Amino acid sequence: MIGLYAIALGAPPELTGARGEPLRVLRCGELELVHGEVPPPLSAEALRAHEAAVRRIAEGALACLPARFGCCAEDEAALSQLVESRQVELAEALRLVRGREQMTLRVHGARGAPPATGGPGTRYLEQRRRAMTLPELDPLRAALANLVRVERVEGHADVASVYHLIDRGAAAAYQRTVESIRLDGLRIAISGPWPAWSFAPEMEQ
Amino acid sequence: MSRRKRAEAEEIIERADASLLEIIDHVLNKGVMLQGEVILGVAGVDLVYLRLNALLCAADRLLPARGRR
Repeated sequence: MIGLYAIALGAPPELTGARGEPLRVLRCGELELVHGEVPPPLSAEALRAHEAAVRRIAEGALACLPARFGCCAEDEAALSQLVESRQVELAEALRLVRGREQMTLRVHGARGAPPATGGPGTRYLEQRRRAMTLPELDPLRAALANLVRVERVEGHADVASVYHLIDRGAAAAYQRTVESIRLDGLRIAISGPWPAWSFAPEMEQ
Repeated sequence: MSRRKRAEAEEIIERADASLLEIIDHVLNKGVMLQGEVILGVAGVDLVYLRLNALLCAADRLLPARGRR
């Protein structure tokens, strides 16, 4: 069994995995599958080690799509089989994240009063639209327009997550901008820069 | 989902700090379900949350592959 760490472009040499093992690169078309040993049992330390290993890949590569903890395959043949049918999608995702990194916002208190007008169906759809797009964040979006290349929003019951791809090296400017904007009724926690975790296609079989 | 795996997952949450919660959310964010989310207050940070189901699913994925094919 082998464990996948990332799908990359221009992965740096001499990488090490979560167990300190040397990582290997398997080419599959233009994709580089960076893999190592099977991950250790689930623990806080194992998750930190996986994240750190992926971060080392992302920092040295031109582009990096992180693999989630626990993504395994029987051997290299099975690993290439896993990605073969999805090469086009993965190559496109690599182009999207190339030269970029991710910032994550947890937005608490979004989704104000539901719309008062329209029938139940209209109100429901409008509420869903707001949950998907978070119009409350528009002032922040305007302030970040020069920094954010791609946005993805995940609306949830209490906390929404907003994932932004920014150019590498722009995290400090991004953080300053977010901290300078006051949004009524919203509390926002920033983390990052991260490898582009939230812009990697799912690799479930 | 074995009881042991669930206990491990819960133990991680118990001992988690804010940065670890962010790591968990990024590193395990998969098979996300809308229910089963928990918001955690850790050292005054109540904005970090994670999806418990995603964590538990990920623990299951570590079982031998032949059982999942």
